[in-house]
Amino acid sequence: MPEPLPPPNFTSGAAYPEIGRLRIALTAGDFATVRKVFAGLDTNATTIAVGTATDIGGIEAALGREWQADPDDALIGTLLGAHLIQAGWTIRTAALAKYVSREQFEGFRAYLCRAEQVLIDVTARHPDYVPAWAKRLTSARGLQLGPSELRRRYDRLAAHDPHHLPAQSSVLQKLCPKWGGSWPAVQAFVKECTDTAPPGSHNAVLVCEGHLEYMGTLGSKKKAVEYLQDPRVRQEIYAAAERSVWHADFTNAVGWVWVRATFACLFSLMGDHRAALTQFTALGPYGNASAFDYVGDGEQEFVRYRAEAYAKGAA
Amino acid sequence: MIQQLEIDGVPTLLAPGSGPMRAGLIFRVGSADETLARRGITHLLEHLALATIGQADYHYNGATDQIFTHFHNQGSEAHVAGFLTGVCESLQNLPMQRLEVEKEILRTEESSRGTGVMDGMPLWRHGAQDYGLVSYREFGLHMIGPDDLRAWAGRYFTRQNAVCWIVGDRVPEGLRLPLPSGERRPVPAASSALPQTPAYYASGSRAVALDAVVRAGRPAAVFAGVLERELFRTLRQEQGLSYTADAAYDWRGDEYAHIRALADALPEKQDAVLGGFVDVLAKLRVGRIEQADLDATVAKMEESLTDVDVDAKRLPSYALDLLVGRPTPTVDDLRAEIKAVTLDDLRAVAGELTANALLMVPDGLAADWAGHVAAPTRSTAPVPGTPHASREGTGQLLIGAEGVSYVPFAGDGVAAVRFAECAAMLCWPDGGRRLIGNDGIAVTVEPNLYYLTPEALRAVDQLVPPDRKVFLPPRDPEDIPVAGEHVALATGPKKPAGALHIIGMLLSAVGATLCAGFAALLAVALLMEPGDDELWIMVVVMAVFAAVLALPIPPLWRRIRSS
Repeated sequence: MPEPLPPPNFTSGAAYPEIGRLRIALTAGDFATVRKVFAGLDTNATTIAVGTATDIGGIEAALGREWQADPDDALIGTLLGAHLIQAGWTIRTAALAKYVSREQFEGFRAYLCRAEQVLIDVTARHPDYVPAWAKRLTSARGLQLGPSELRRRYDRLAAHDPHHLPAQSSVLQKLCPKWGGSWPAVQAFVKECTDTAPPGSHNAVLVCEGHLEYMGTLGSKKKAVEYLQDPRVRQEIYAAAERSVWHADFTNAVGWVWVRATFACLFSLMGDHRAALTQFTALGPYGNASAFDYVGDGEQEFVRYRAEAYAKGAA
Repeated sequence: MIQQLEIDGVPTLLAPGSGPMRAGLIFRVGSADETLARRGITHLLEHLALATIGQADYHYNGATDQIFTHFHNQGSEAHVAGFLTGVCESLQNLPMQRLEVEKEILRTEESSRGTGVMDGMPLWRHGAQDYGLVSYREFGLHMIGPDDLRAWAGRYFTRQNAVCWIVGDRVPEGLRLPLPSGERRPVPAASSALPQTPAYYASGSRAVALDAVVRAGRPAAVFAGVLERELFRTLRQEQGLSYTADAAYDWRGDEYAHIRALADALPEKQDAVLGGFVDVLAKLRVGRIEQADLDATVAKMEESLTDVDVDAKRLPSYALDLLVGRPTPTVDDLRAEIKAVTLDDLRAVAGELTANALLMVPDGLAADWAGHVAAPTRSTAPVPGTPHASREGTGQLLIGAEGVSYVPFAGDGVAAVRFAECAAMLCWPDGGRRLIGNDGIAVTVEPNLYYLTPEALRAVDQLVPPDRKVFLPPRDPEDIPVAGEHVALATGPKKPAGALHIIGMLLSAVGATLCAGFAALLAVALLMEPGDDELWIMVVVMAVFAAVLALPIPPLWRRIRSS
């Protein structure tokens, strides 16, 4: 009987000490440290760090003051914009539209409009500041701007960083039928992003995201598992792994926990416990539930599939 | 060299130029001086003044814009002199026998003129007054008679309110400008129909357009050129979203000018064109203006000043400046002013433009996210009055001593016109009335659509001032609204009541009667033979049932009656 595995650490950003430092500095309103930490991050990491910092409550006013003092500060503007977006979603809640009241929708839109205006300003001053464009993809979705505007924003972003995974993931969401898109559009976009990304980069995880989104529409886990038996689907997922998590150039750059956990999820559902185990092992103490949310309570499912992989995959 | 002379008391500008002699006579009057109810009077007068010039064996024309009316021609000295003198004489002695014919010609001109994408913009900015009138049809033609025209001519077509310009070596021999004495008419003040700016409105056009009012001058003119370059480069060259992407500077005649810009879009690209347009404006607003764009625009403007005939070419615009008392710079001054424009000047223009911008967006889109407030399409509150229900049950018309309002039963969408603020009331022989307020918001009073009494209709007719009324010829029967069809100001067409409504009402009535009857019988029985007190609860419950069942009866009855 193997020793029971320790519970995974699902805390957002736990695997990235810099994000931990950032959260402490932001909570304390220590913007000098905030700037210093961000200065050490690449573009992808910056966007992810901005995203993980939006759940820190009570710092909107401080961010607003800081940005007013220096409207040319792209980072602070982006943090403020991201906070306003999050504040809007908090009012709206993630509930289906029919359960959201008119007042909630109005509050949601008012916050998104405020966020958008801050971000318009940031991208006007710094058209090459990719994290702000990435946030404008999120705001575009909430504001229900059309697909051509979403594409324009993505193209503005991609002109400066053609392989910006957080933005690609955001666009993929909007291309799904639930947001008015189509599956062929999702497939084409995933192909466009993964084919051009450097080997070993994280971008191929988009293949998994596309399939997870589709599986989410099938209505049951059983159907999802059946779908993953399709040889074409399996081949696509393995090819994506070859380009990313299985590639020699794959690095544990910020975002890697989500990438490996997503592959682990799909390998588990495909019944390939050996492949899943390699990802769970690489994850070590860290966990990420977002892919597992498609099949139930993400954290519980993660723990369950991880145990299953350890039990069956090692054979 | 531009020489300034005077002919019969009319300031006259003379500049040499190549080619045949050209000349013009400009009066400080245009559509912005009119009222909606007499819209078109200047244009009609311009046509009448030219009506007797006869068959042209030389080139002549007239033009009426917002604040100027221009008669011009070219040809031999004798022709030029004959034309200008003829126009002045004709203005004093209008050929009224031509009145109806000229009105017909104007109506034909109006119906054959295409509509521009931005034609509606002045209405949104200014309402149904002064600079907004250009968005409206020439309703006044139906009401204008000889006396109105003579009064208009006497007020505006005077020697103090005119400037003559001549491109040639000298004043043609025998040129007389016999005009009556009057006074210089100041440029009308501009009204605003926008309580808040920056604003936006949605239109049926597949284009994004901008209108902004900025201080007139060389920086604003250069800015328009820079904006055009930025829009063209971004939306067309780089992103391939638009075919047309241009901008223009349009002096209003006072200290202000409009900067207008337009970018067209394919239906599936409208969102992106709006987004790109907003981002171009934001780029200029934050001050990221390219030096290369400034230089290129200045070079283009300077180039237009190097023409050997430069003074001859700019003579008409010089005349306009003179007519409204604006500075009249020399070519060297102009060149120096254009060259002196700096990036900081352009940033200041960008700031002004942002503050009062009006964006036109394609239908179905909004620009609230870009910080623009929706321009009003409804009134803030109705004017009190006696209610008259609509036959379709969608709302009611309030007719009071101070105005009329339409108030829908559901949702917002109040439209109100105060009689004192009524720009025009269109009247059809079939009894239909349409009141248009100074703010551009209209209320329709249609006997076919509302339960209106003859007294109510008479009251409206009496309370609208006579000079605001426009009596129109009979409408095409197709255009007369009928209850049950689409109603312009209603929230949406509602189906007439059907069998279900009647059955529903009958069931409600029967149910309510049964419950009420049972409650009454039980109450009587209990009063006569007091017994179980708990039965009183039954009486109350049945009475409440009866009341609840009776609730839907009044609205259903209204609905059935109205169809």
